[in-house]
Amino acid sequence: MSSDYEFSDDDGDYFDDEEMIDGTQDSEAQSEDDMDMDAFGDDFKVTPKGKCKSYEIEYESLSQSAVERLMQKDVDHICGIFGVDSGIASLLLRHMKWNKERLIEKYMDNPTAMLVAAGVTMPEPVVTSTPTPIRTHSSHTTPTNTSRRPTRATSKLMALASGSKSKSPTSSPTSSFTTPKAVKTAKSEEVFVCPICFDDSPGLQTLALDCEHAFCSTCWTSYVGSKVRDEAEHCIRCMAEGCALACPDSFIRSILVPEPGAPITDAAQEEENAKTWARFQELLVRHFVGCNTSLKFCPYPSCTNTVSCPAAASKISLTTVVPTVSCGARGIGGQAMTQSQQGSQLGIGGKEHKFCFGCPIESDHRPVVCGAAKLWLKKCRDDSETANWIKSNTKECSQCQSTIEKNGGCNHMTCKKCKHEFCWVCMGPWSEHGTAWYSCNRYDEQTGVEARDAQSKSRASLERYLHYYNRWANHEQSAKLALDLYAKTEKKMEDMQITSALTWIEVQFMKKAVEEVDKCRMTLKWTYAMAYYLAKGNQKDLFEDNQRDLERAVEDLSELLESPIEAENIPTLRQKVTDKTVYVQKRNEIVLEDTANGFVEGRWRWNVTVDGFDDPTEVAI
Amino acid sequence: MDARLRRVNKEIADCKNDKTSNIKIELIDNSPFHLKGSFPGPEGTPYEGGHFEVDIVIPESYPFQPVKMKFITKVYHPNVSSASGAICLDILKDAWSPVLTLKSTLISLQSLLCSPEPNDPQDAEVAKHYTTSKSSFEDTAVYWTQIYAGGPGPKEKKGKSSSAKPDERDEVAIAGLEEAHVNQFASLGFPRSKVIDVLRRLNYRGANVAKITEDRVVEELLK
Ligand SMILES: [Zn+2]
Ligand SMILES: [Zn+2]
Ligand SMILES: [Zn+2]
Ligand SMILES: [Zn+2]
Ligand SMILES: [Zn+2]
Ligand SMILES: [Zn+2]
Repeated sequence: MSSDYEFSDDDGDYFDDEEMIDGTQDSEAQSEDDMDMDAFGDDFKVTPKGKCKSYEIEYESLSQSAVERLMQKDVDHICGIFGVDSGIASLLLRHMKWNKERLIEKYMDNPTAMLVAAGVTMPEPVVTSTPTPIRTHSSHTTPTNTSRRPTRATSKLMALASGSKSKSPTSSPTSSFTTPKAVKTAKSEEVFVCPICFDDSPGLQTLALDCEHAFCSTCWTSYVGSKVRDEAEHCIRCMAEGCALACPDSFIRSILVPEPGAPITDAAQEEENAKTWARFQELLVRHFVGCNTSLKFCPYPSCTNTVSCPAAASKISLTTVVPTVSCGARGIGGQAMTQSQQGSQLGIGGKEHKFCFGCPIESDHRPVVCGAAKLWLKKCRDDSETANWIKSNTKECSQCQSTIEKNGGCNHMTCKKCKHEFCWVCMGPWSEHGTAWYSCNRYDEQTGVEARDAQSKSRASLERYLHYYNRWANHEQSAKLALDLYAKTEKKMEDMQITSALTWIEVQFMKKAVEEVDKCRMTLKWTYAMAYYLAKGNQKDLFEDNQRDLERAVEDLSELLESPIEAENIPTLRQKVTDKTVYVQKRNEIVLEDTANGFVEGRWRWNVTVDGFDDPTEVAI
Repeated sequence: MDARLRRVNKEIADCKNDKTSNIKIELIDNSPFHLKGSFPGPEGTPYEGGHFEVDIVIPESYPFQPVKMKFITKVYHPNVSSASGAICLDILKDAWSPVLTLKSTLISLQSLLCSPEPNDPQDAEVAKHYTTSKSSFEDTAVYWTQIYAGGPGPKEKKGKSSSAKPDERDEVAIAGLEEAHVNQFASLGFPRSKVIDVLRRLNYRGANVAKITEDRVVEELLK
């Protein structure tokens, strides 16, 4: 499989052929997106494709069926070694949390104990016989006779029980585990009463596992449904009290999935069952993924994709890399979107499922490492009260005190009343923002140093925090506002396509620019979390220089995006926006690359203890 | 008809018709899914002679999910919360089987009173009391049965002076402490209720009394 995980380049065909045939809708979305990018030609090319950048990590997106194939491989392996059928192998593996080595070791040691613990066979009332040698090779065995070992144990048990219980004479021992047995159907002499629902209708359909605990099929269906839906349980035991036999997948399937061609009796119930069966299969995949440190399930709602990222599987790796990954799907519900849908839902609706492989943050928190990001989010939660005022969308003009509302993503504000131009973030005059000496992004440490008494110290520390929080929150908000604005602009451009001679491609340049602004604001946002915890010194200064350059470039591009659009100015605007987008992209690369390299080189020093790093030697805040 | 309703109605009817059992299930209001169960305290236990009531809520997916039960009557028992009546019993959780019924579950609660499981406690303080001094624990359990469950009270036993009217509640006995210990610290000027609270928390009972220094108790009282 290719290891190229560029985000916006046209070389995104990292789904192998198998996956394409498998028909995951996501891969289709990906290729459509690629076509879209191709249409732009070389406008947005920044770096040559095909290389994993220092701030990127190698990973692989897996569909649910791809994970199921991985599971099947393990199951087949165990089938081969133990000579059991796949239903049993699957129960054994799940019981041992998919740790094959441990399972093999424990099974070799005491197969009977293992089979009982996994719910494959009932505990034997007598002491077990001496273990028979286990075949380690199974090249010639066929599925029908592979279940020899465990059935030996069960058939003995069934022989013990057969004296007292009515047992279907046709059920051969070899068919156990894989096919549920209709224990009794309309045997006229005795009346079966389901011990759960007390139904005693003649001809009641009943089912039982090898323990012969029979219940009506309606009760089984309700039980499996409740276990799967209410408890998200994948290991479903027999309903009898104290019986620990687990239902093999084939048994659950037979309950939930009607035989092909069977007449539909209750359409609503069958639909419900189909959902339960799908959910059950998802639960199995989730369990497998949860047992494997190099796999992570996509956290987006109702998405069932998985990401494999062995490079970020260990805790220590998280001090040198920020493992931002994407499951390959877009939008809500993992549904692939068509081109036109994607255009109109650039916001939440059509977004890539990006998340961090190393921590629970469900977005891209580069360039800051997981440990510091976690600290920062906790700090924000704890101090949310004090920082709440920043979230408000209105501020007062520092010159005439009239109320000003922010409605775009740009931070260059002009008071409607007095025409005063100022920066939304620091409220300082905008004219100074372009000059070299002014830095909106840097916190003036002097205030903190000069503070003498405890009260002014704590005020200084709050001010320091607010400086960073303010900018952090502002970038998030600005990104959102920019997307809102884009939705309006897009509508206008669509109209222009009809009224003027512009082509579809000519009016698409805004989309890429807005996407880039959104991406860079996310980077900027997290640079403030990083800067808050960076120890004072040269390295921090360099970091903040890069941060400032990116911030200025992004603000410039934001401003361009808010300029009025008329059909006649489109060609010039397109050129300007395209140039600026390329520049912004470059600045973003620099911030991400330099920060990532710094982690690999161990260049960054913190002013607090960050998980996985050495304690700071000199605490300089 | 709804399978859950059919099953619950049958369970209630079966229980009513079973004259030999001493388990009762009654409706609380019009809903068959919120019930009250009751049973006598088992003989030969500190709960003997008491009448114990249990709040029963039948969940939506009953009997495939376990019934919810908690004691209405206050019970002094390691596996029952002395404050809320919540019960720690495996069959009410993962060991539930749809084959179990309201009646069989109430019988299990009854037998839980016979055989406490202090290693899997619901009420840690009560469990500590049970493990440090079983006889002192039993005295308290008998007292609780008397005042909360209408039990007969302590059998004449080493002249314990709680022969007063049962409704005059002795806070010291409820907490399972010795009158003398409470008096000892109350005489230092601490409020009685606080002394009871601290001694109960420190499990100042039986063999533990020798292990806990007076300073330690005072330290806690000063907090
Ligand atoms: Zn049934
Ligand atoms: Zn069974
Ligand atoms: Zn996803
Ligand atoms: Zn992370
Ligand atoms: Zn103004
Ligand atoms: Zn500013």
